[in-house]
Amino acid sequence: MKSNKTLINLLNSVLPVLLALLIGAILILAIGENPFEAYGIMFGKSLFTLRGLTNTLHAAGPLLLTGAAIAITFRAGLFNMGVEGQLLIGGFMAGLVGAYLHISNPFLHKAVAFAVGAAAGVLFALIPALLRAYFRVDEMVVTLTLNYVMMTILEYLSSGPFRDQGAGYVTTPTIDQSAMFTRFGSTRLTPFFILALLVFGILWYLNAKTEFGYKIEAIGKNPEFSEATGLRVRRSIIMLILVSGAISGFAGAGHMMSQEYKYTLSFSGVTGLGWDGMLVSLLGSHSPLGIVISSIFYSALKTGADNINMYTSIPKEIVAVIQGIIILFLSIRFLNERFGLLEKLSKKKGEKNGPAL
Amino acid sequence: MSTILETKDLTKKFGDFTANDKINLTVEEGEIKAIVGENGAGKSTLMNMLYRQIPPTSGEIFLRGKPIEFQSPRDAIQHGIGMVHQHFMLVPSFKVYENILLGTEIPDAKLRFLVDSKKEQQECAELVKKYGFDLDVNEVVENLSVGQQQKIEILKMLYRNVDILILDEPTSVLTPQEVDELLLQLKELKAQGKTIILITHKLREVMEVSDSVTVIKKGQIIGNVKTSETNEAELAQMMVGRKVLLTVQNDHSVQESPETIYTVRDLTTNNTYGNVVVDHVSFEIRKGEIYGIAGVEGNGQSELVKLLSGMMEATGGTVHYKGEDITNLWANELRSIGIAIIPEDRYAQGLCKEMTLSANSIAGSTRSDAFKKNGVYDSKKIREHCQKLIDRYEIRIADFDGTVSQLSGGNAQKLIIAREMRSQPDFLIASQPTRGVDIGAIEFIHQQILDFRNRGGAVLLISSELSEVMSLSDRIGVMYKGKILGEVDPLETSETQIGLLMAGAVPQEVV
Repeated sequence: MKSNKTLINLLNSVLPVLLALLIGAILILAIGENPFEAYGIMFGKSLFTLRGLTNTLHAAGPLLLTGAAIAITFRAGLFNMGVEGQLLIGGFMAGLVGAYLHISNPFLHKAVAFAVGAAAGVLFALIPALLRAYFRVDEMVVTLTLNYVMMTILEYLSSGPFRDQGAGYVTTPTIDQSAMFTRFGSTRLTPFFILALLVFGILWYLNAKTEFGYKIEAIGKNPEFSEATGLRVRRSIIMLILVSGAISGFAGAGHMMSQEYKYTLSFSGVTGLGWDGMLVSLLGSHSPLGIVISSIFYSALKTGADNINMYTSIPKEIVAVIQGIIILFLSIRFLNERFGLLEKLSKKKGEKNGPAL
Repeated sequence: MSTILETKDLTKKFGDFTANDKINLTVEEGEIKAIVGENGAGKSTLMNMLYRQIPPTSGEIFLRGKPIEFQSPRDAIQHGIGMVHQHFMLVPSFKVYENILLGTEIPDAKLRFLVDSKKEQQECAELVKKYGFDLDVNEVVENLSVGQQQKIEILKMLYRNVDILILDEPTSVLTPQEVDELLLQLKELKAQGKTIILITHKLREVMEVSDSVTVIKKGQIIGNVKTSETNEAELAQMMVGRKVLLTVQNDHSVQESPETIYTVRDLTTNNTYGNVVVDHVSFEIRKGEIYGIAGVEGNGQSELVKLLSGMMEATGGTVHYKGEDITNLWANELRSIGIAIIPEDRYAQGLCKEMTLSANSIAGSTRSDAFKKNGVYDSKKIREHCQKLIDRYEIRIADFDGTVSQLSGGNAQKLIIAREMRSQPDFLIASQPTRGVDIGAIEFIHQQILDFRNRGGAVLLISSELSEVMSLSDRIGVMYKGKILGEVDPLETSETQIGLLMAGAVPQEVV
């Protein structure tokens, strides 16, 4: 039974990817290029060269965290779709700490920036958490819409009060050297990746070994049971959304200090690290190992786009197409998890209720 | 008499589980056919197939000798088969006649989009009169008792001119008086030419009202007998497949000590709609005593249990345990001071079906150091603990690492009891402890409760099975509309007397 379920989970994750790559291959063929060569370059350069691999790992750091931030709420039957917004405010606040607080000790400076970033994520997540716990407002809708609120607020702040007047475009001032992570040698990899792995590891250790994880599982699978055994469901819901917010804010701060160094309007990239995290979590079936693998795979896909552009005549948008198709397939899975889509579509209405004893 | 309904090799499978195995049922026109069997024997599945709520896996149904295949319950009704479910499907804010005609409203003669409510009322009143029901068609449903609501369900079917009426466990929600009334009603319907299929597991009703009996066990027909040629003991033996032992009984041999361990004073609470559902409930339980709470379901017992087990907040009143105020404590806090809780709904509150056996075995004491090593969970300790429970309570499992969903109802309940009894509690709250479990498990659970009491423990037993409360309790409080109407001694009180209390009769007449 158990191995069967694992297999299905694995297929659930691998199949959308394979199908997306297949459809991508058809498109590449239609352009008149060799898909094997294209994919070879894409994954070869981003996974099997030192430079490519370190780039990939570097980009996977924030994804690992945003994936985890989403996974812990998903497992509890909650849907924090606000990871993007929480990451943005975390990154922005860390940027302000980095630029305006001049702390000469590099450890302390980063620590303060992380703390402020995570705290900002928590505070922002407090809104949907309280609304959900006390007024039963669907946290999915609130977190989803608040992303755009936060984007707009930060657009104002970075183009107004905190704009770097010397720059020719909208940006906050660059953070101090003491707040920047130093790279390992000539690679782009920084200690932040190690830190992200560490936080991720701690999170899953807590999940597997303490009441924290027991609560997540119990609340996700049966809230009434959780309440009846004395797990404070309401308090736990608030706590989980806040933890998710903290991780997102932390990820944003790390992204600020290891990659961006200043807050611009494209701080989080095109699809956005928070949205990518959702994909990573879904692709990895919300399981720890799954998230590690899928964050690296997804990051390889993203870094591979540049290589395709560089070494072939295939437009790099092909990667966006593949991403889009993966998202499409995964969203079917998401709808199924959240709303029981397939069950509703199947006509055998009487069957689904199981034995009527 | 001619055969009106017949099934041939009717089979229903849910995955690997065969709920109905080649059922050949024959129902004669104008008879009352009782279908009996234990919970989970497959009675409801069979009826749901006849009523086409679920499609059969294989087999055929014949109506008046012709093979038929209904497409939906509506189709079944048009062919003259109607069903009254165990759980009513009425609109509480509508009037009686509106509920009867729901879906078949009579349009106004001139303005077709309006409903001719006058004509509707008239037709319903005639219907009520024709079948001798005592019901006001203009009453709003939510003001009616459960028994009256059931009449509406029956009238709904009669209005649609069904010839065959299926009743699924119709008496499980009724007071003894209401049961008698229903049985009379069924005889009246039979006299008017209706065929009735009565699903039940209560043998007294079968003996009283039916013409023939079909016994189902584990999805198969065990026997068909004429009611006049059998007796309760024989039917019971057929149902369980072995001679029924005398149920475990409280012999009242242990003298309870005068020490009061649990005191509830004026406990009151509202439900989410603001209605008072538990109304100044007070009682005391002494050491070595089983205090039973009887009542028709829906009179505040569920809410009382929730209040006492930390799932609901009291708006007034207090609960004291061993002299300490424990009002509104959380469930895990209650457990940590020695109160064991067997919740009402085993899969909603007692266990988490999708979690493993061992995860369920530590529920309620997830903070206990007994399961930890260096402050974090030690899976070895947890598994050992779970294995101990399984061994000691002889819980039959298929896969130790699997989830609780593999367990049968009785074994799931055993797991809850094993878990709750492990920490040597002094007080046990047992709510519907044997609901839906087989007779073997019932005996086991009853014995556990009595043993616990005999060791000096105090028990609060809440059950809608009157016989269970009667045979186990030392004292019984009867709940009606959120209040405890009266307290009786089971040795000096008859079921009829308690039945009157359950129906809200003034207590002075009884005690």
